[in-house]
Amino acid sequence: MSAEAKGAAPPLAFSRASRWYGPVIALNDVTVSIPPGVTGLLGPNGAGKSTFLKLAAGQLQPSQGEVSLLGRPAWGSPEVFHRVGLCPETDAFWEQLTGLQFLTTLLRFTGYDEAECRHRAENALHQVELLDAKDRKVGGYSKGMRQRVKLAQAIAHEPEVLLLDEPVSGMDPVNRRRVIDLVRNLGREGRTVVVSSHILYEVEAMTKRVMLVHNGRILAEGDVREIRDLLDEHPHTVALRARDPRRLAAAIVGWPNVISVNFGAEGEWLTVETARPDEFYGALHSAALGSGVVEMYSPDENLESVFKYLVAR
Amino acid sequence: MRDTSRPLPFAKGARAVFELSLEGMVWTRRTLLMGLLVGFPVLAAAGYRVWLAARPAVPLPPAADLYAVAVAIYWIRNVLPLAALFFATALVADEVEGRTLTYLLTRPLTRPSIFAGKFAAYLVTTLSLALPSTVATFFVLLSARGWDAVGPAVGDLFRDLGVIALALVAYGAFFALLGVLLKRPVIPGLLFLYGWELLANLPGYLPRFTLTAWLRSLVHHRPAEEGLAGLFQQVLPAGPGLVVLVTVSALFLAAAAWIFSSREYVLEQ
Repeated sequence: MSAEAKGAAPPLAFSRASRWYGPVIALNDVTVSIPPGVTGLLGPNGAGKSTFLKLAAGQLQPSQGEVSLLGRPAWGSPEVFHRVGLCPETDAFWEQLTGLQFLTTLLRFTGYDEAECRHRAENALHQVELLDAKDRKVGGYSKGMRQRVKLAQAIAHEPEVLLLDEPVSGMDPVNRRRVIDLVRNLGREGRTVVVSSHILYEVEAMTKRVMLVHNGRILAEGDVREIRDLLDEHPHTVALRARDPRRLAAAIVGWPNVISVNFGAEGEWLTVETARPDEFYGALHSAALGSGVVEMYSPDENLESVFKYLVAR
Repeated sequence: MRDTSRPLPFAKGARAVFELSLEGMVWTRRTLLMGLLVGFPVLAAAGYRVWLAARPAVPLPPAADLYAVAVAIYWIRNVLPLAALFFATALVADEVEGRTLTYLLTRPLTRPSIFAGKFAAYLVTTLSLALPSTVATFFVLLSARGWDAVGPAVGDLFRDLGVIALALVAYGAFFALLGVLLKRPVIPGLLFLYGWELLANLPGYLPRFTLTAWLRSLVHHRPAEEGLAGLFQQVLPAGPGLVVLVTVSALFLAAAAWIFSSREYVLEQ
């Protein structure tokens, strides 16, 4: 970490920042300082998480207020990107490049020489378990692999600040676990990591510090356990896509933490309602390996209802 | 040792973007189509030679006239501006549409260096299509009745290559500006080419506001044209032509780089 990063200025700070898209307000008068470590940015789709991260990454200019990144205005300070990594939510790549070329190209933009680019690219691909696929074109990667190569490009230059927009979306449970562990380790190393998600239990696995975003405002900020205490009674829904969904359903239907299991219209998907998500996710890992779970997500309406529940209290 | 307190030096950043953009530009359907269009005179010249060999008694237009038409009307007036339109308006638009611009804008690169790298890639791609086609067409046509006609015309060939390069720079700069200014620049670009640029064929002062008229001033070939162009076509002086084209190209490029640097790109999820 540089001395600057350890100084008085927080790595990322919003000061009365607002952002409009035409007449629509996406982020409303946000003042927050993000310290080193992992901070979860939690909110349903459309809450303002991506706008928050785009402002933090200098992709958007605040309509009002200020956003500072490593002590500089986030907008119009390209030099800070030596020390900042962004994993965008969009599934976009130069599809003709291999995974290794994708990373070396972006590292070249960060100023490393060829040998260093290759070394760092391979190291980052190793961290996200993609080294074996480094010479395959990104266009041929599965959704989970594309998510991981996006994460690899964000960490390859060992940035002090990492902005991760839904980094585990679309990953299978095994890789989801790996990425969660990676994010936790990055936080332990003293990096400032802001990770957005609409799944409380996913964020909780990475950090205890969360910010709840809803309708463009920071609704609450603090220890995730305080939020969990409010949600003990609230059922959580998980959608799973498996190669053998019947086998998966048979394995999990008897678990005490499962309230219901439903098959989706296309046959590959299961929707599971659970009263105790922690236990459910913990047990799912071994069941997922046997039945070939390839994708998992928590439907957004679920968190939307959680927020309605919280706001109503 | 990297200096992390500043963005990457302009040349280094531009070069890195150039290499990526060039790779992305070369093997595309757009390049293939433009390659066919730009290379068509080579095929036509080869056909001319075959016809000449098969039926020597049939009268054909002189090869030098055909070459003049290829340079002055086919390439400089029509195909190269079209190539510039389709490549240069897409320099930033392709990255926006593919949502890959995020990766460029979240690296320590200045935006003018990104723009410069992409424009250089456009120029190398289009020059790689146009210059070899011109050289090949020149030799295939002018050697049709022996190599004696080739030697004296080589000077014209070099001049043509220079004008073709300048046409790609000038039109490319204008369309790059259009590309960063407008969300859908192709239709306005076509209107510019086949509306505004026709002013070059009118009498009076108006042709001075077109790129076509200034480019025409630099070309030695004067193939016969019909319609307004045949009636009024005036030739502006070559010296000022060169100055005007270089100046407006620099202005268009500076304006495009400035707009790209100050503009926000909100990419759709």
